[in-house]
Amino acid sequence: MGNKRKIPDLQHESLKKQPFSVPDGYFESFSDRLHARIREEEQTTPVRRITIFTRPWVAMAAAILSIALISYPILRFALPDNRPSSPSDVAWMDEFYLMEDDFYLVEYLESEEEEMNDQEAFASQAMDYLAINDVEMILLLE
Amino acid sequence: MPEWNDDQILEAIRTPGNEEAAFNQLVANYQERLYWHIRKILVDHDDTDDVLQNTFIKVWRSLPDFRGDSELYTWLYRIATNEALTFLKKKKKQAFAPWVEVEHKMSESLESDPWFNGDEIQLRLQQAIIKLPEKQRIVFNMRYFDNIKYEEMASILNTSVGALKASYHHAVKKIEEMLGDD
Repeated sequence: MGNKRKIPDLQHESLKKQPFSVPDGYFESFSDRLHARIREEEQTTPVRRITIFTRPWVAMAAAILSIALISYPILRFALPDNRPSSPSDVAWMDEFYLMEDDFYLVEYLESEEEEMNDQEAFASQAMDYLAINDVEMILLLE
Repeated sequence: MPEWNDDQILEAIRTPGNEEAAFNQLVANYQERLYWHIRKILVDHDDTDDVLQNTFIKVWRSLPDFRGDSELYTWLYRIATNEALTFLKKKKKQAFAPWVEVEHKMSESLESDPWFNGDEIQLRLQQAIIKLPEKQRIVFNMRYFDNIKYEEMASILNTSVGALKASYHHAVKKIEEMLGDD
């Protein structure tokens, strides 16, 4: 149990004074720095916009592709098949394992990273939309 | 250049060719007010500078779509608040730490912050404010330091006056408790 100190009176005017300061000339130079940043951002490639309408289709396509990639080798080996593997089958499987071991992992990691950036961009855009369009700010605070 | 009021700024924004001049005037009129609003939420000067720039960049991009349904002042404060909250959320996420740790770091950095000039009681008050939940922190700062009316706060935060009064009341109680504890 902590010792009780004398509680400062919150109504005291000295407590309401601004305790923070800014570097000299900060506000005088702010506008120039802001315009420099706006020019810089306008010169860079515009950020790819993600819309609510495209995301479910992207997710669905990714899900179908994942199911196909996972289920094909399982079904291929689990189901009885007395046919000898054709050279083209063997070549395809070699390619698959190579893809699984190397390319797929790299692609997955890259797509994960891109997806994370997409998610952040999407969340940021959603927050902006809500704020700009008068959606209850208190909801954003939860 | 004589200072324009909000109506003049909005009129200029809607006049083709005047957008940039209107935006410059808007920045001149609001940079300090928005800076201090954001600074009280984020505490750190550099973070505040980043968020203030982000706020005005959002404003610049959204100006053509501003319909004038709310006051310019309300709209700007809302974007600034949103940007500050988004920044805090990112900071928490990047730190991979719960809020208490981020809050602890903010509180500690305040002691060595060259841009904090408060005395010991003001330091304790700021450290107590940092410990409040985000919503209460914003409401407390706007009411206590800026003396913004509940009705104005209600339009900025799009909530009811009653909810804001309750938040402020809880914030004051918690701060008094924290300042009373050693």
